[in-house]
Amino acid sequence: MSSTSPLILADGVSKKFGINQVLTRVTLEVLERDVVCVVGPSGSGKTTLLRCLALLEEPSEGQVVMEGVPISTPSPDKQVKAAAREVRSEIGMVFQHFNLWPHMSVLQNLIEAPMRVKKMPRDKAVAIAESLLKKVDLFEKRDAYPARLSGGQQQRVAIARALAMSPKVLLFDEATSALDPELRREVLAVMRQLAREGMTMLVVTHEMGFARHVGTRTVFMDRGEIVEAAPGSAFFDAPQTERARRFLQQFADE
Amino acid sequence: MFKYQFRWDTVWGSFDFLMGGLQMTLIISAITLVLAMVGGLIIALLDMSRFRPLRWIGISIGEVVRNTPILVQLLWVYYVLPIVFGVRIEALVALIIGLALYQAAFISEVYRSGIQSVPKGHREAAQVLGLTPFQSFNRIVLPQAIRMTLPPLASNFVQLIKFSSLGAVISVSEITRRGMELSATNFRPLETFTFIAVVYFFICWPLAMAIRFWERRLQAR
Repeated sequence: MSSTSPLILADGVSKKFGINQVLTRVTLEVLERDVVCVVGPSGSGKTTLLRCLALLEEPSEGQVVMEGVPISTPSPDKQVKAAAREVRSEIGMVFQHFNLWPHMSVLQNLIEAPMRVKKMPRDKAVAIAESLLKKVDLFEKRDAYPARLSGGQQQRVAIARALAMSPKVLLFDEATSALDPELRREVLAVMRQLAREGMTMLVVTHEMGFARHVGTRTVFMDRGEIVEAAPGSAFFDAPQTERARRFLQQFADE
Repeated sequence: MFKYQFRWDTVWGSFDFLMGGLQMTLIISAITLVLAMVGGLIIALLDMSRFRPLRWIGISIGEVVRNTPILVQLLWVYYVLPIVFGVRIEALVALIIGLALYQAAFISEVYRSGIQSVPKGHREAAQVLGLTPFQSFNRIVLPQAIRMTLPPLASNFVQLIKFSSLGAVISVSEITRRGMELSATNFRPLETFTFIAVVYFFICWPLAMAIRFWERRLQAR
């Protein structure tokens, strides 16, 4: 069953904060090795959708399903909660504001979860962390504290931290929005490399270039709904709706 | 200037007596600080509890204690508690209970702001990586919160040293009380209380300066 069902699926997910309806019955599936890019104006519910998939928000309606097993529902029962605990660390997330732990060195940030959650022996966790740091080209910063790093470096460490748990899917929440343009490039380069290596990714982003050239599918959201979804660059070449055309217009001169 | 024959020898003559009092002052302050840190944690946890009645208790204790004078509280613990519970409390115990409760009410706020100073995103990062809420609090929130609370806690120690002089009113034999007793026998309040003020100052001032230095270093990190 797991081979045919999507890796992770938002199944008719709605989210309300008080009377504010942020998501309305959103259905989105991510298959293995997919790089799904979610674009849309701010306030369109992209981040909330991502947070639902990351199990940081409970849907008001619908469910989140991982490899055929429901892991998040409105007022989840024991079974769903147990399933969520099971797959919790298989869903990695990279935040807009990095959220590195400032009281720990780069290396400690990377080995904390493998050691505590996976009960991995320290030397093994360190070995994995070091190879990941080499991968994001920050090995020489292993003993530095986050405050000493640039924003781009912090975000690369955050990506390495997420990878240290070897997640099946990696969620990116506007991972480059808080960065200066020249720092964005180094983070996007790492993301592109991950995509090339076949990492399954769901990327909420304002980087149209990344969505167009790296994404296997682009999803356009507006006012809490998925308005359009198209494979690869098709969305950019031939948007089907007026709303999408107007949205893309803003990036025309970029 | 006014004609006054200083007789500092009356103070030096009782130096050991006064220093014994100072020792008492510091012991009281240290014990009280430890109790207040524990009490403050209890009040802070009550304040942040998910259960409304517990929260209500925590908030009530904090508000009552913060909004009544410390001297009245001490007199209340010393004179009223024995009436209510029918047990005699030693003055020293009453002083420590009263001071600890008073400081705990303030320290609970220090803890609370320390915990709330840790950005929510740090906990979310822990959650997403699979850490349990307990691990997240223990490993991510608490170490950061403690760093934030250490300087204010040290400042509380300075405050305690000064507030413990109120023990004199209920006859606890700390340095101020001993000063009162000394000046009643040597009839030299000027020398006696000046000396005592200087002693307090040269203990509290360096401590306060060290804390300020420490705080600045923490902020620089």
